[in-house]
Amino acid sequence: MKHEIILLITAFVSVFGFSLLYGLRRRYLFAAALGGLLTVAVYILSDHLLQENFLPYLIASAFAALFAELLAHLLKCPAILFLTPSILPLVPGGSLYYTMSHAVHGEMQAAMESGQTTAEAALSIAAGISIVLAARQLGTKKKGTA
Amino acid sequence: MNALCEDNKKKLVPCLLEMGDLLLDCGAEISRVEDTLQRVGQAYGAVRIDVFAIPSLIVLNAVFPDQSVETQSRRIRSNGSIDFYRLEKLNAVSRRCCADPMPIGELEEALRKVSAGQKPGWRFLLGSMIGAGAFAVFFGGTVWDGLGAAAAALFICFLQKALGRTELNQVAANLLISLTAGLLVGGLTVLFPVLHMDMILIGDIMLLIPGLAMTNAIRNMLIGDTVSGVVRLAESLIWAIALAGGFMVAMLLLQRLGVAA
Repeated sequence: MKHEIILLITAFVSVFGFSLLYGLRRRYLFAAALGGLLTVAVYILSDHLLQENFLPYLIASAFAALFAELLAHLLKCPAILFLTPSILPLVPGGSLYYTMSHAVHGEMQAAMESGQTTAEAALSIAAGISIVLAARQLGTKKKGTA
Repeated sequence: MNALCEDNKKKLVPCLLEMGDLLLDCGAEISRVEDTLQRVGQAYGAVRIDVFAIPSLIVLNAVFPDQSVETQSRRIRSNGSIDFYRLEKLNAVSRRCCADPMPIGELEEALRKVSAGQKPGWRFLLGSMIGAGAFAVFFGGTVWDGLGAAAAALFICFLQKALGRTELNQVAANLLISLTAGLLVGGLTVLFPVLHMDMILIGDIMLLIPGLAMTNAIRNMLIGDTVSGVVRLAESLIWAIALAGGFMVAMLLLQRLGVAA
């Protein structure tokens, strides 16, 4: 439990930092950081329940996309302002690092494995976001038709 | 709206291209760029706007009510950095144009203002330090690792700023940054043995983005912007290899010196 709390706090702080770095307006900073925290919470929860590699990333990123769309609708600004920072904690920075660290040490088998983890995570995050986007498009009429 | 005189027609297309250029430079999605240019163009009275954008090029074709056609393209050079400050300003400008098109001269002026505007530098520094530091802890480092990552982030920021002022391409820049950052962090871990080199580097890697770029690339492909997705994916893989190459050389050097395991 202590580990999870550290994850949530650091996710909040790091998303706050990155939103600052991306030049997000000051009054949106807290909302973006909260999005990061909730996204990680959803990830931890679904990871715990499903015991599986692919789906938790998908669920968490779909949640982040929903959260971003909702805030964008409420605050009348582009969803990407909240989406980009919120999904950052899901981004496989760790496994990307271990991929090359293993490669440096000549452990090719291990390098391949973490490389695969990296690619799978990137794919499932992207899939989660795309599902939400498709759902939104489904609810919007085609341009040019009355 | 037939208020489009000859002069405005000539100015509209370059104006739209400038807007698209700025949007891509801030890290806007391809679909947003195409959509925005189309809406704004139509708001200014074009009967048809065709836009094709990829990360390095925008082609725009406008058809006006008198059947005259204007086509222009622009080569885009963006380094994949994200700037929400300008993105929001551009969004506000385009919303205003769609609701009630301002005179084209005013639009030119508004775009010039956005282009010149810079987000405050201290935010960039502070944000990088907080972000990298917290990520080092997030991925399993100690608080000390977090502080180490924040210190290295400061260095990376200055290096990024300095290299951004030169003509150096993005691949070589990433290679150079990761090499020097790797050596710096290795040096830090020698000076302060409580630090873990891998945790600090993982935190700082998040500043150098390929993970996020890769996700965006795949998302582009999944929503139908296939060409952009493929371009971005190839680009982000090459960046990742450059980063890995720089870190690898740093690690090997440190190993030779008997510093790191």
